[in-house]
Amino acid sequence: MWFKRKNLVTVLILCLLLYFSMRLTEFDLSKFRDFRNMIDFLAQWFPMDTSKLPGMISDSLETVGMAFLGSFIGLFFGLPISFIAAWNTSPTKPVYHLSRFALSFMRSIPEIVFGLILLTALGLGPFPAVLAIAFHNIGVLGKLISELVEASDPGPQEAMKAVGSKNWFAHLFSIVPQIWPNVLSHYFYRLEVAIRTSLVLGFIGGGGIGQRLFNDFKTFQYSSVSLDVLIIMVIVIIVDLLGSYVRNRVI
Amino acid sequence: MLELNGVSVRYPGGEQEALSDITLTLEQGEFVCILGKSGSGKSTMIRCINGLQVPTRGEVRWDGRPLSKMSEEQLRKVRRQMGMIFQHFNLIPRLSVMQNVLTGTFGYRSNLKNLIGWFNDQEKQQAKQVIEDVDLSSMADRRVERLSGGQKQRVGIARALVQQPQVMLGDEPVSSLDPGTSNHIFSLLEQMHRRRHLLTIINVHDVGLAKRYATRIVALKAGKIIFDGKPEQFTDREYLETYESQEENGKTKNR
Repeated sequence: MWFKRKNLVTVLILCLLLYFSMRLTEFDLSKFRDFRNMIDFLAQWFPMDTSKLPGMISDSLETVGMAFLGSFIGLFFGLPISFIAAWNTSPTKPVYHLSRFALSFMRSIPEIVFGLILLTALGLGPFPAVLAIAFHNIGVLGKLISELVEASDPGPQEAMKAVGSKNWFAHLFSIVPQIWPNVLSHYFYRLEVAIRTSLVLGFIGGGGIGQRLFNDFKTFQYSSVSLDVLIIMVIVIIVDLLGSYVRNRVI
Repeated sequence: MLELNGVSVRYPGGEQEALSDITLTLEQGEFVCILGKSGSGKSTMIRCINGLQVPTRGEVRWDGRPLSKMSEEQLRKVRRQMGMIFQHFNLIPRLSVMQNVLTGTFGYRSNLKNLIGWFNDQEKQQAKQVIEDVDLSSMADRRVERLSGGQKQRVGIARALVQQPQVMLGDEPVSSLDPGTSNHIFSLLEQMHRRRHLLTIINVHDVGLAKRYATRIVALKAGKIIFDGKPEQFTDREYLETYESQEENGKTKNR
């Protein structure tokens, strides 16, 4: 029963897409015959050099700080904007369209581009990185939360209106408790992404463990690189665990 | 006193009027049950009364003042005099019974106070009192999603009562409850109705409940009033007329 013409066409299109993508990306597993190079390279990563650990720790704290501050500012501004960018709570149609457009504009600029622009004004360091992450996350969280708002149950809002409370207040009070656990899980996911972003921003001079990783790499100190990578993995895992812990407590 | 004067509602894109030319005068102390099939306009009518639905034609008057002429602020003041309960309860999830009941006072309080969630002793006392009235004192701190359907509707009633309303509106408040619970909810509504001398207007599908509790029955069909009178006047004939389907109508005509 699966062998319908429609399904066959779908599979055919999919195969074509895969083929062209592989051509375009020079996807070729036979290139792995130089596998030994990679092994040799990775062998230089060990044993780890722990002499610079204190500096690495303070850099990682800087990274976590960047990611937290950036994503929190994103949530702080994204949450109210999401209400005017959701069709069921937006004050007027023009405001709705305008805010939607503003959000997608903010999302469309990659953090690294925004970071590079800000660097020219603010100089090197974590501050422009925080702003870049915040700006992008207003766009992302605003959009994601506006979708939660649109999917929320209209019943409680109607009840709040019937009670005689102001419109915007009815929206706020009846929707936020409904969507709060999902807002948090989006937020923690964005925090995790922000940590990875702040690494990339470190590459362009945004500071933190990312910048250290980049410098260690460029100066061939692979025994330090390995420890940097390990620390980054640990941070991401901790944030993930923390996120699910908080979310479980809230539900 | 509540007056509906030639009230009609046509929803955007709707072929027929959901409500057409409804004229009714309802007095304080009446317990009115509105009967009718699904889609007969019962809900629309209830929602016109507190301005959640704006009539396309005609007007609703509360204490002689037409809702259509009111500012948003005045309309809010009317709404807080009218408690409303719903088929799906419409409680705010993840909040406790007490918190949900306290939201009933929102129409009376400043936005700032509401935002920070500060309630004075009098408001808390009122909330406690109505929770006791609906017999939920032991569950005041429980989250509403952990309650049964009947208990949820009692929270809905308490939220409406804490408004100190003059009117109690019910949009099919027992349609998702079992018969025993429905009866319990109705007797609670009647008790509060008497104690507070309300005007109670309830949509209901269960004719038995309507005849037992109502002092007046209004039956709607295709947006028009086809019966308005005392419960004992609502006989099998009226019942059949209210609930017979359009198809059967067609057949009768063809014969």
